[in-house]
Amino acid sequence: MSRKIERLINLTIALLATKRYLTKNQIFASVEGYEGSAEAKERMFERDKDDLRNLGVAIELGSFDPLFEDEAGYRIAPEGYALDLGAITGTEIALLSLAAEAWKGAALDQSAQSALTKLRSMGVDSDLDALPALAPRLMATHAGFQVITTAISKRERISFSYLSESLKSELRTIEPYAIATKASHWYVAGRDISKSAMRTFRLDRIDSEVTTSKNGSGYEIPPDFDLLASLALEQSAHIARVDIRKGKAHLMRNASLSIEDKGEWDQITINYLDSRSLIDLLLWHGDDVLLIAPESLRMELIDRVQEIIDLHV
Amino acid sequence: MSKPSQSSLGRTARLLDLVPYLASHQGIALSHLAQDFSVTEPEMIADLTTLWMCGLPGYTPLELMDLSFESGFVTIRNASTLSNPRRLSEEEMIALLLGLDLVIESLPSEREDLRVIAADLVARLSSRVSVPTKLSAKPSTPGSVRAVIQDLLQKRGALEILYHSSYSDTVTSRVVTPIEFREENNFEYLWAFCQRAGGFRSFRLDRIQSAQLSQMPTYEPESPVQDKAATISYTLRAHSRPRQIMERFGIDKSDFAGDLPAASFSYEWIRRSILACSGSVELVQPASVRALILHSGRAILERYKAG
Repeated sequence: MSRKIERLINLTIALLATKRYLTKNQIFASVEGYEGSAEAKERMFERDKDDLRNLGVAIELGSFDPLFEDEAGYRIAPEGYALDLGAITGTEIALLSLAAEAWKGAALDQSAQSALTKLRSMGVDSDLDALPALAPRLMATHAGFQVITTAISKRERISFSYLSESLKSELRTIEPYAIATKASHWYVAGRDISKSAMRTFRLDRIDSEVTTSKNGSGYEIPPDFDLLASLALEQSAHIARVDIRKGKAHLMRNASLSIEDKGEWDQITINYLDSRSLIDLLLWHGDDVLLIAPESLRMELIDRVQEIIDLHV
Repeated sequence: MSKPSQSSLGRTARLLDLVPYLASHQGIALSHLAQDFSVTEPEMIADLTTLWMCGLPGYTPLELMDLSFESGFVTIRNASTLSNPRRLSEEEMIALLLGLDLVIESLPSEREDLRVIAADLVARLSSRVSVPTKLSAKPSTPGSVRAVIQDLLQKRGALEILYHSSYSDTVTSRVVTPIEFREENNFEYLWAFCQRAGGFRSFRLDRIQSAQLSQMPTYEPESPVQDKAATISYTLRAHSRPRQIMERFGIDKSDFAGDLPAASFSYEWIRRSILACSGSVELVQPASVRALILHSGRAILERYKAG
């Protein structure tokens, strides 16, 4: 196995160092490790090229002189190989370190650490003193997280089984567009293939492995797509008016659009997504809150409270 | 997290990254080097031995990389071809972008300077990845609160917090000695000794409205701290919306059948949670909380009939 690794490293060095394209025969003659029959060397080289490509090392195919149909050659362009973030400061390295550390124990931990190693290899010391004491944590431990982020970057469809409201597992296939957190939950958004419409899924409701498929890959993500904005937009669909007791219902007060002082009570306006989620929120606060409008929602709320009473007499 | 790869591809990637790391960390101790790459010392020695055999075509001592690591400290020479770090993979960029987003949101408000630098880094990274602006991570805790707590955790100082308890729906001021951060169900908690309660309590970070240094003496726990919150057993019966009930009451899907046993440390939480399911769930036991729910339901109904 060491021999193969040596050969891959030597091939990388040779193709990076050369200014001219090296033909296969030049490679076989000069790079250590290519042995056996012509076919064997050929096979070895094809595999090595694939392996390096999988490591993100792009091998260019070209020829010295476009006017002559001479044999094509290979090289690795240094500008495509090396990390290029421009000049970087100690403060920037420190911020990137914090960003990587946020993954400790979470889904992309290993990628974050390998990224950090590359950044530290730029020869700039991290200036930690420049930063306040922070250690934000990303709490993404869902097993599918890594699969989804990779699928988004490769534009590959993903399939998974999703728990419906009635606890049934339904198979969904989507073209994933984006992944984001909101209120401590991770969401993935994408175009649902069978529904042919945008859908958002909460990661912790995925109850199977997430699989990818090359079938239908390469779809376009609208460049202006913003998951958080679309989630926020959904939630600002309707407005309700609610009286809340002074000193109570802090959660609703914090989320309110406007507050009007009415003596013992305050009247607020608040956005809501659907009637049931607002009724749930109102009932958590018991008789510290009173829904004023819309009237139809008031009727529904009264029915729900009657149900609670009937269930508990 | 999976262990660093011992596959030939994984090792090749590590060796390619090892060269620039060594070039920028000349004379690093072998033990540190192994640690930085999350491998054992023998594995690192195997990596270095392989590298030693690599170089430019010709493979004479002039072309081979020159490594020395016999005295326990590692230096590298003659490695200029590989001495630039490799570009970041898409997944590495995604990890950094999401992490940076979180860092930006976590910075205290007075550090606008750092926010600008971090936003510039995001822009530079985003231009190199094919998923720009699609990634976002928002912390649930304001940066100012986090920074103060983090600082006092290191100094072991007492902290005065303004805390919103959602169960009692009250905001109270408490003096606590922070012990550590904990994570549970996607929320972050501060585990601390609360002087007001005279015991250890956990505080959900996003419910801490402000935090500042307190002049009160700190509490030093003498023995390892155990969570001794009393638990209350209760039983539920689901009537509709099972997924919501499962998530709200933390019941495992595999246990979701018939009457559902569960536990909480607050009657108030049970009462409010049942009400907030607006008729989807019924509390079977304990009878005393059942009576409270009935009472609350009637009180709410009365208010609406009156208004």
